[in-house]
Amino acid sequence: MIIELREFTRVEGNGKAEIVVENGEVKDVRLKIVEGPRFFELLTLGRHYYDVPDLEARICAICYLSHSVASVLGIERAFGVEVSEEIQLLRELGLIGELLESHALHLYLLVAPDVFGYPDAIRMATKHGELVKEGLALKAFGNRIRELIGGREIHGINVKPGGFGRYPTVEELENIERESEALLRLARRAVRLFASLEPYGEKAEHFVATDGYLWGDKLISDENGSFHYMERIEERSLVYSFAKQSRYKGEPFFVGALPRLLLKAEMLTPTAKRLFEEHREKLVTGYVSYNNLAQAIELVYALERAGEIAKKLLDKGIKGENVPVEVKEGEGIGYVEAPRGVLIHHYLIDSEGKIAYSNIITPTALNHAMMEASLFKEARELYGEADEGALIQRLEETVRAFDPCISCSVHIVKL
Amino acid sequence: MMDKLKLAVFELTDCGGCALNILFLYEKLFDLLEFYEITEFHMATSLSEGSHYDVALVTGTVSSQRDLALLKEARNHSDYLIALGTCATHGSVQASVEGSIREKLKRVYGDEGNPMRALDSKPVVEYVAVDFALPGCPYDKNEVYQVLIDIAKGIEPVKKDYPVCVECKLNEYECVLVKKGLPCLGPITYGGCNAACIRSGLGCIGCRGPLPGEVNPASEYEILKDLGYDDDYIIRKFKTFARWEP
Ligand code: SF4
Ligand code: SF4
Repeated sequence: MIIELREFTRVEGNGKAEIVVENGEVKDVRLKIVEGPRFFELLTLGRHYYDVPDLEARICAICYLSHSVASVLGIERAFGVEVSEEIQLLRELGLIGELLESHALHLYLLVAPDVFGYPDAIRMATKHGELVKEGLALKAFGNRIRELIGGREIHGINVKPGGFGRYPTVEELENIERESEALLRLARRAVRLFASLEPYGEKAEHFVATDGYLWGDKLISDENGSFHYMERIEERSLVYSFAKQSRYKGEPFFVGALPRLLLKAEMLTPTAKRLFEEHREKLVTGYVSYNNLAQAIELVYALERAGEIAKKLLDKGIKGENVPVEVKEGEGIGYVEAPRGVLIHHYLIDSEGKIAYSNIITPTALNHAMMEASLFKEARELYGEADEGALIQRLEETVRAFDPCISCSVHIVKL
Repeated sequence: MMDKLKLAVFELTDCGGCALNILFLYEKLFDLLEFYEITEFHMATSLSEGSHYDVALVTGTVSSQRDLALLKEARNHSDYLIALGTCATHGSVQASVEGSIREKLKRVYGDEGNPMRALDSKPVVEYVAVDFALPGCPYDKNEVYQVLIDIAKGIEPVKKDYPVCVECKLNEYECVLVKKGLPCLGPITYGGCNAACIRSGLGCIGCRGPLPGEVNPASEYEILKDLGYDDDYIIRKFKTFARWEP
């Protein structure tokens, strides 16, 4: 017997799951990504490099800037371009804005209704209006940063190989410093709220992240040594899903906020680090549901770090100079931490500056196997115990903990 | 008080941006809720209780049999259907990928089957009649707000029919095409974004779709050729957000 669940709600994109039951026992769970394919790697093939980050941004609206930055990093590495510290800090600031926007959306609008027992945040707002407002305030601030650095709230084209179209002004940076400080209080409250949740889902055994906090030159894992993705991560196609599935040395693994905290706690800002220590015992158990708590701690990190970056830039003064980009044949990989985990853009570029090969692996594709494992565990425990409504509710919550971005997972490729 | 209008948001294959942009209305979203009740909005609510909608917003392209079924369902159950965003109005980036669906599936997924019943991506407007088309990748959120308020008040919303250039002039932005030689598609693209990209000193990439009518793609083509861009580059640029012949 196959139980077909309806499409998931309160996630980005279209996906659903099937539970395979034999002799009264759950034998398998399949996570089906039903969003149609979008063929991004084919789209960029043969394109001039300069236009590529703007197209890749369209992979996903919730994390468009992560895609632009990963794309730009891949292109710059292919050409051997090094950018200034100022440009690096501004890119990081943009990624922080995206983290705030995305985590706030996920925690307050998508997960919180589960905590309080509502179908959505709008209906939750009648009783918990304050909380919804706090979430929206964080989200709006994140979006203002995205607009400032990325050019628009969604799909801006300001992030370019070698620098930016427009640089922020002193006044704009002062506002960021001030506002990030003022919002910190709300983020700390979120940590308290999400720390109270019971664990669910599978316990992850392998974690993968980039070697810097929000981007890196290579990947790291719970084992020693940094690596390029091809060395340890394998992708394969599935007949029942438009998204491919990745494995780390053949095993399911986890990318996202929880893996970042577990692998990179020493890079956190002071308050975030303290909060991590406070909740360490829970977090190290590796339950995927603690990703929610980890995201709340990252809200604190993001706000503190945004303030630090703004201050640093203000102290040094903004120069606003782009680095010249010289076209040559090359290969480059951009690794970025999108809000929901590691994102990989890999390009080969020809001597005319056109894309000759591209491979993009998104966090949702990386987490696909882990999501299935978690659904399997929950389904096995609850099938026959809970009624179907409760079972579905728990499975949805489990998928939601990964903060999956389904749109972004559906064009994953090897050419 | 009069009954609220039933509003639905349907998401076909896309990046999620056009659905997300509705949530980015923030407090204005609550103003909209004075007039509307959301009865279907998959990204934002687990409720799904509608069988008839006064207004349906459809985002994304038809890229699978599932999308097509959902679109027909939306059309059959709504009075006023809006194709929202360039995916829905022109096909956006995924529709510009050339080749047949089988060939594309084979190149990406490495097998010849089509078990998930994918289709070549096409805009919503190629399958059903729509009552209003609002382009933009994504559209300007204030625009959708205005359109929904107009409908609630019984006014037929107005379609913008001027190029992005007009908005540059109004904002007194320096022309990046003439002054910087950037390949800007502003002259042949639907306005309504308030020239957002030119504000950053960058050329318009045409995300609101090609403006039909008296605009002149041939002369844009000549300008870009004179600036030194090659045919292949120009044609790809023109086609990025819509399949059309320059
Ligand atoms: S039109 Fe652009 S922003 Fe809107 S759904 Fe399509 S790709 Fe996303
Ligand atoms: S300037 Fe062009 S590319 Fe930019 S938002 Fe407007 S229509 Fe889209």
